[in-house]
Amino acid sequence: MKDLNLLFNPKSIAVIGASRDEKSVGHGILVNLLKGGMFATRHNEPFKGNVYPINPNADVILGLKCHKSIIEIKDKIDMAVIAVKAQLVPSVLKECARKQVKAVIVISSGFAEFSDEGKQLQKEITDIAKKEGIILLGPNCLGLVNTYASLNASFAPAMPPKGEIGFISQSGALADSIIDWALWKNYGFSKLVSYGNAAGIGITQLVEHMSNDKETKAIALYAESIPDGRKFMAAAKKSKKPIVVLKAGRAEKGMNAAKSHTGNLAGSYDVYKAAFRQSNVHITDNVDELFEAAQVMAYQPRLKGNSIAIVTNGGGCGVITADSCAEHGMNLAVLDEKTLSALDKSGKMHPAYSRSNPLDIVGDALPDRYDAALNAVLQQKDVHGLIMIQTLQTMTDPVENARVILNARKKFPDKPIIAVFMGGKFTRMGKLFLESNKVPVYAYPAKAVLAMKALLHKR
Amino acid sequence: MADSEFLKHYGIQLPIAKEAKTKQEALDAAKSIGYPVVLKIVSKTILHKSDVKGVKLDIKNEYQLREAYEGMEKRLKKDIDGFIVQKMYEGHYVLVGMKRDSQFGPVIAFGLGGIFVEIMKDVSFRIAPVTEKDANEMMKEIKAYPVLEGARGGIKANAALLVKAILAVSKLSMENLDIKEIDLNPIVVNEKEAVAVDVRIIRGKDERP
Repeated sequence: MKDLNLLFNPKSIAVIGASRDEKSVGHGILVNLLKGGMFATRHNEPFKGNVYPINPNADVILGLKCHKSIIEIKDKIDMAVIAVKAQLVPSVLKECARKQVKAVIVISSGFAEFSDEGKQLQKEITDIAKKEGIILLGPNCLGLVNTYASLNASFAPAMPPKGEIGFISQSGALADSIIDWALWKNYGFSKLVSYGNAAGIGITQLVEHMSNDKETKAIALYAESIPDGRKFMAAAKKSKKPIVVLKAGRAEKGMNAAKSHTGNLAGSYDVYKAAFRQSNVHITDNVDELFEAAQVMAYQPRLKGNSIAIVTNGGGCGVITADSCAEHGMNLAVLDEKTLSALDKSGKMHPAYSRSNPLDIVGDALPDRYDAALNAVLQQKDVHGLIMIQTLQTMTDPVENARVILNARKKFPDKPIIAVFMGGKFTRMGKLFLESNKVPVYAYPAKAVLAMKALLHKR
Repeated sequence: MADSEFLKHYGIQLPIAKEAKTKQEALDAAKSIGYPVVLKIVSKTILHKSDVKGVKLDIKNEYQLREAYEGMEKRLKKDIDGFIVQKMYEGHYVLVGMKRDSQFGPVIAFGLGGIFVEIMKDVSFRIAPVTEKDANEMMKEIKAYPVLEGARGGIKANAALLVKAILAVSKLSMENLDIKEIDLNPIVVNEKEAVAVDVRIIRGKDERP
């Protein structure tokens, strides 16, 4: 396997096709390297190494001296980001090879995705990269972000918050929007990379890299097609980090004319699902789910067995959650004598508490009652994880309840706890407190159940 | 190697059957196999024999055999290359098959078989090579699994033999790159045997593993 370290941690970068035109991609990339992002956020960080704009028609761009060609630069260049017309990319790539650049991102489009001529160009650059031993990302891609190296080598609008999710995306535009969304939802990324046409490295090599990346705790994938399916499976099986996938292009565009029943039955997405399943890749159905699952996997321990408990201060919400568990194949543990007796003896329970799972501890529950309930239930061996539901009553204290969860997390580090704080405005502080302490918290039970299910697939 | 020898080599059980070119040969074959029997046409041009009523199940005696034979001969004459007389097996109909995918290689399918297979679509898939654990999961994944277990006093399918059939198809797919698609449909399974009463093998050029 080629070491991709230079791609994610270069010391010096040339931007070939850097431009003074503020609306151009070449300008955006330069700004992103120099400032961290075009759209200002507190997560933007300027790249700490040297940046060299290359453009034969400019002398200075954004205050930096501009070179006519990469060959003119005296210093060593680790990586080049190329954003010139597709037709020019082969000759530019050859210059990079002469300059002994070891990693190249080709942002330019107009390759195999576009025309037959583009296909030919793509083959040309693939061959050059292979011959010269250059790591090639793209073409037709967004580029990459490494939040831990203050590196935004892309034309994405800004840097996402630092975090533990490594996101690998075939699509660039999707990754753009994900960053905006992550900034809003406070999802953190270790690395974010779009590989476009995958002429050089593709999803498989990137999974192998992220598997060994110390900042990445969970890998999220967006893919439309995985041409080296069997190699991908091998890499995914070996991955040290949990992997979550969103596979697009699931609708069958008219089956190919197979002659056998099996041929007609095995639709393309069926095949992908089988492959993901066999290589322990967690499948999600939409973008929301993809990142929720990735985040919960990064934050929480594995669910060691399929049997969980629900603790709630509202009966109805307990029932909704139980329904959702049934729908998604999650089992509820039966509370045993020891647990019930611990609850009784705690002296904190309401006389009318449910004594069964979902454990309804009644609407007037204060934090100390939640605390007693969580401790009693989590000590039961076959309760492998817990969903804690809070509905907002006059006496409810969301922040203190959040603290109760954190204490339970410390006491039972091997058992995942997921919170559902139903509501919005007045539960917000409790939610923020939980999120900043790596406890996933949702406004709806169904999301918590899906998150718990994802933890069954964690490795 | 003829297909039947090839399949037996991988441990796939095939039905007791005889070829017949004439009505008399069919009658003799049925007599030596023992009624009830199945009569099937042999045809290079017809892909799905059931669709053209080229299969008659559960023929109980000589009279029914003559009737079935004459009917098929009359209707399908130009497409018929011969007949097969097969022992009639009782049990559930399941499918075990393989399709070679260009990205993932051999995809193994298990499901409820017979003539409704593409209508019911009660099928599970794995990429070969499948393990014994995979094969067991494949069986349990289909909706009709309780039926195979003998729900409501029905016949109980021999799960070990089905696992064996799934593993056999996985193995032969890994070892024979010229096979593009294969259907064992149906495999008739009961407590004692799992017999691939109809088999289709499609060979082609794709050389990926």
